[in-house]
Amino acid sequence: MRRAIVFILVLIAVSSPLAANMFSLSFFQNKTDNIFQNRYPEKDQLSSVNFYLDKDFSKVSVFTGGDYVYPYQNPNISYYTHDLGLDYLYPASQQTAWYFSLIGQGSLYRPDYEDFNYLSLNFLGAFKTYLSPTSIFKSSYILEYKHYRYSLFDFISHSLEASFDTYFQTKTTVRAELNWGYKYYLHSESSEEALIEDSQGHRGGMGDFIFIPRSADGGGAIQVCALKGLVAQGIGGRVGLNVSGMKQWTLSGDNPFSSVEEFYMVENPSYDRFSWHGYQIGSELTILIPWNIEFKMGYTKAEKEFPGIDSMDLEGNPLGVTRQDSREQFEARLEKNFPKFSLFFSYLFIDNRSNDPFFDWQGNFLAVGLEWNMFFGGKK
Amino acid sequence: MRQGLFIILTSLLVFQGLAFSQKPDHFYNVDTEKKIRGTIQKVVMESRYKDSSPFLIVVMEEKKTKEMYNVEISPARFFTYDFHRGEDLEVTGSLYSKNGEKNIIARQIRFRGEIIMLRDKKGFPAWRGSGMQQKKKKKGKRY
Repeated sequence: MRRAIVFILVLIAVSSPLAANMFSLSFFQNKTDNIFQNRYPEKDQLSSVNFYLDKDFSKVSVFTGGDYVYPYQNPNISYYTHDLGLDYLYPASQQTAWYFSLIGQGSLYRPDYEDFNYLSLNFLGAFKTYLSPTSIFKSSYILEYKHYRYSLFDFISHSLEASFDTYFQTKTTVRAELNWGYKYYLHSESSEEALIEDSQGHRGGMGDFIFIPRSADGGGAIQVCALKGLVAQGIGGRVGLNVSGMKQWTLSGDNPFSSVEEFYMVENPSYDRFSWHGYQIGSELTILIPWNIEFKMGYTKAEKEFPGIDSMDLEGNPLGVTRQDSREQFEARLEKNFPKFSLFFSYLFIDNRSNDPFFDWQGNFLAVGLEWNMFFGGKK
Repeated sequence: MRQGLFIILTSLLVFQGLAFSQKPDHFYNVDTEKKIRGTIQKVVMESRYKDSSPFLIVVMEEKKTKEMYNVEISPARFFTYDFHRGEDLEVTGSLYSKNGEKNIIARQIRFRGEIIMLRDKKGFPAWRGSGMQQKKKKKGKRY
């Protein structure tokens, strides 16, 4: 392996300069008062650096990017993710097209979370067509395979999506969307052997694994289905308002872990769109304010139940009920685009109420960022 | 760790090796830059440049003059933006005529209250890839 790395370094050094169509570099500084999003808030500041390279080759585009995140108070969970992919667009007619992409991704965490290191492969096939000049039908299929260092999290998932939207002369857009997803944990049968010692019982917090795997009752698979709707209204040329709703059902299976957690900016394999059912409603206002600054303000309310996850008291004793969360969140965001760079500012407040007291929490999240773009290749 | 480093280096190497030059049919000319406001009449995909992905073209009627323009948005934005007939669009871009039709290479568009930068001030493309993977690349760390 060492020889291969040296060989590649030499090749990079002696070959021609990068000739991507685009290279972008961004830096974000984030601050939160509850990085682990639980009852016992921990403040932290996180810096993230991201790069992205992109090149078109005839009808195929190749892209790669990396993202490094460093939490100052919890450096042992800093991580780097890298992806490499290609995509292809096939126009079937002037108003219909197919799109395919294949993306490989890898993630490297510092020691405390190195069990979350993963390699993944993601295939997307999508279709879009204009049924009329004001109506669009879209559908897509996603296949994802993820292999973690801690193999209990390994999974394959399939997702299907279909949507229809139409635009009315009143500047109103109406969209309906149907989703179906199936996630299969590849090693759920070995979960008994893979138990991780947890020094603080269920109430772990940073650094302590609290994903105590259960024996999979319903096999290692979860199947969900969701219905979404959106109504968007344009008001003049500078204001847009949308209202959206989503209802998700778990058709079969439940979570194979004893707990489901989300962390700020740090991916947690116990939580994703398969881990809950319930509903979500939201509204977003977009205004183009003077100096062409985009201002967005949004509110979201969600009611989620996590099938297979028992609520516990603060000592870790089961309460005999399934965990249910009620969440409200408010977000405000400013973005200013210049020809070569963009500036961002965002603020988010979350109030999460749960019948599991450990997940009764509030958090403030602040981010400022700069994205710098450089362009290469021909001037078309 | 070594595996990760190997993946990163291999990715960089792929981009090193894939360098090549393009010879487009027409260029962005800053001297013909114009801003127009209009209403979308039609959305199509067309080949515009040799060896390039098809371009998303929006046929637009200017509000003041009622003249029609073919607006070159970018390759394959077909999947990232849902334009409909009747929607308002403001375009800043380089104007050129071909086969008696007015065309405009968009540098910046204003659509649904958002400013979308497609090229820099000199006309160098600023889009990323063919499209849909951009959805995963959120600008900034949103929740």
